[in-house]
Amino acid sequence: MTTDAVARARGRVGKPAALLEVRSLSKRFGEVQANWDVDLTVLPGTVHGLIGENGAGKSTLLKMIYGVYTPDEGRMFVDGAPVSPGSPADARALGIGMVFQDLRLVPALTVAENIALALPGGPTLRLARLAARITEASEAYGLAVDPSARVRHLSIGERQRAEILKVLMTGARLVILDEPTSVLAPQEVEALFGVVAQLRDRGLGVVLVTHKLGEVRTIADQVTVLRGGQVILNAEDPGNFSDADLVEAMVGRRVPPLAVERVAVPPRDRAVLELVGATALGDRGHVALKGVDLEVHPGELVGVAGVAGSGQKELCEVALGLRPVTSGTVRVGESVPGLTGAVAVPEDPVVDSVVPGLTVLEHMVLDGRAVPRRGLGIDWPAVGARTAVLDERVGLHMAPTKRTLSSLSGGNIQRVLLTRELGQDASLVVAAYPSRGLDVANTRRTQELLLEHRARGAGVLMVSEDLDELIAVADRIAVMHDGHLVGVVDTAGADRMSIGRLMLGGVA
Amino acid sequence: MSQDVSKEAPARPAPAPSVEPRRRLLTRGTGLLRWVGALIAGLVVFGAFVLANGADPFAVYADIWTSTLTQPGQFQQIVLRAAPIALAGLAVVVPARAGLVNVGGEGQLIIGAVAAAGVALWLTPVASPWLVLLLMVVGAAVAGAAWAGIAAAMRLVVKVNEAVTTLLLNYVALYSMLFLILGPWKDPAALGQSTSVELNDAMKLPVFGGTAIHVGVALAVVAAGAVWFALTRTTWGFRLSVVGGNAEAARRAGLPVVTLLLTALLIGGALAGLAGFIQLAGMEYKLRPTFGLTIGYVAFLASWLSRHRPLPLLIASLVLAAIAVSGNSLQIGSGLPAASVNILMGLVLLAVLGWTSPRKVRS
Repeated sequence: MTTDAVARARGRVGKPAALLEVRSLSKRFGEVQANWDVDLTVLPGTVHGLIGENGAGKSTLLKMIYGVYTPDEGRMFVDGAPVSPGSPADARALGIGMVFQDLRLVPALTVAENIALALPGGPTLRLARLAARITEASEAYGLAVDPSARVRHLSIGERQRAEILKVLMTGARLVILDEPTSVLAPQEVEALFGVVAQLRDRGLGVVLVTHKLGEVRTIADQVTVLRGGQVILNAEDPGNFSDADLVEAMVGRRVPPLAVERVAVPPRDRAVLELVGATALGDRGHVALKGVDLEVHPGELVGVAGVAGSGQKELCEVALGLRPVTSGTVRVGESVPGLTGAVAVPEDPVVDSVVPGLTVLEHMVLDGRAVPRRGLGIDWPAVGARTAVLDERVGLHMAPTKRTLSSLSGGNIQRVLLTRELGQDASLVVAAYPSRGLDVANTRRTQELLLEHRARGAGVLMVSEDLDELIAVADRIAVMHDGHLVGVVDTAGADRMSIGRLMLGGVA
Repeated sequence: MSQDVSKEAPARPAPAPSVEPRRRLLTRGTGLLRWVGALIAGLVVFGAFVLANGADPFAVYADIWTSTLTQPGQFQQIVLRAAPIALAGLAVVVPARAGLVNVGGEGQLIIGAVAAAGVALWLTPVASPWLVLLLMVVGAAVAGAAWAGIAAAMRLVVKVNEAVTTLLLNYVALYSMLFLILGPWKDPAALGQSTSVELNDAMKLPVFGGTAIHVGVALAVVAAGAVWFALTRTTWGFRLSVVGGNAEAARRAGLPVVTLLLTALLIGGALAGLAGFIQLAGMEYKLRPTFGLTIGYVAFLASWLSRHRPLPLLIASLVLAAIAVSGNSLQIGSGLPAASVNILMGLVLLAVLGWTSPRKVRS
């Protein structure tokens, strides 16, 4: 360790001191070694891409840097001085700022009020003075934000800019962006990267956590790949790597490209799902779905793209009959021979489909199918046998059926629900964010399952935040904006930027 | 740093797939210890209270011990007190499985007793004793269910929280009973006292030979067993726990959520009504202003103490009944009012709930 440190110090002679240097950080939760001997160095004026699958230890590493967790072993240095932040406040005082994936803004307050919350202040708010400082800072960093706007009226992209501004105004010199692009349209991603470049040029350090490899290559100066809690790859100029190289580092083996055999399914005149002028209210009583016309035909996979909260959830629920339409019609045709009914992957598994205290096996009977009975009760051995067949057929390798769902991670919960739903034949498949929380291999398998349903003649409606995923598997992409279906694009020859313009409410 | 991206992850401790079984065993063991610890903590704090009131806590506890637990007659008193608490506790357990909070055991018990008393009043002259007794049971259960049904209807139709409606209906039940025993059902022979006419001896529950234990106690035990079976071994019980765990998941699974919520509350009400029946036909034999007082609330506590599980509920009912019975000796031994045991009961509940609640590990 000491000789290593000396060697490293020697190697850095003449270079600026690292903004953040993390050495041999380890963290264990119970039996799980979440981080093991992790090194990370962020130099001022650089963007450091941090990639890895779900569960690779990215979050743990970030939370240790941000003072949420205390490392079991290892040391941290800021500007060459040893530090051990014991809380996020400590980390902020050291100049470390974090922009969480689920933005931490109060929707009912204005941007200025939200920033005031984060700043140390006296007994009075002095919002007018603060607003002036915000405007100044937003011009300086190229982050266009209106300080007097209420956060709930802002788009996701605007909220993110406000959050970044908040972090910068609290004095951050190292900005950690946790999966910032997953909810943005391509144009917004470009704008965000403009901001990131500006931060870099002003000498700040940026850590960009993402699972989109193209982004790392575009913007990052350095890349660190985590797998199983360990650093697998740490290199400069990620542009030199191919997607396949980076995926291999993340997954530990080559992942073959998705076999997209588009089995031609004979066209039928009747759609499996037909929405005409479908209008529906959202949970808050607002009109969330506005006159949507959409048909999904047998043997067709229709993707739904849109910025989060544009009506995708309501579209799925209306299609499944879970949410009443206030006007318009929804027709689910049973026009595919040998296939009946609908299966669904819920938008928010934990809220919509998980009963925390029940086991995996007990969840397998909550699929709407007839349950094997024995006497007054359920024939659990029969359910177990049925489940084993399903698990084998689907191949997502569910957690043991005795585990309770509350003890499973998000990705494992998703695999349970995917196995239950996609393992059955159905004429209509409605999948909302099916690859949520999954690793690369299981994401691939899930996409294959959807394509298998399509090949069997089912109509598939698939919502995703990942345009690349939709372009890879969908026949057509329906783009939603503010409850409207603003356009349906044929995937063949589709162009990301024009889909992005539709997502933002413009014209293709 | 290596550029060899295919580098295998070096050996490190493999994450164990599951530590759940061992952990569960551990919490089960410490759970019981905590229960005992909480009980002791409650006793210590109450001891301080006794001390502050000028009595010797050790003498008081010794007195409680000898007078309630070492005398067979007193133990029977505890069992007799525990039976309606257990039945009314089941009235909390069943709805709780579906995620409902039934605070209305008190009122459902009273209404059940009123119905049983009414059946006895009208049918004793015309029907055979066994038929009357049977109809009293049915009447009490149906009336209790109907009383809970009012809250269920309000929850399902106009979405008023059942905890509020069941609680408020307790007062309606109490004053309805008072209206009856102050007016139309008042026993003219009870000079100046507001009670209903005492049950005919044939309608009083028979006791097991040589004891004071009446068959209502057996009814409570059988009911607890039946509820346990229904909740853990039947499709209905499984579905209730789905609704209680996540109603949206139940809806998406196509379960009849409304029916399940309704049956849970109705069955709860029926069980509380039965508690009223055994309190009437086994203990008090007539309605009076203090009939069944606080049984419903104590039962609510018993259900919470047992984490809404029917078999542990029997034990919790016995513990709370023992504390209640000890109130009498408390008064005699230390000069403290008998109602001070309610302080002890509250302390024990707080200690148990506060100390044995499953902690959130890490969100």
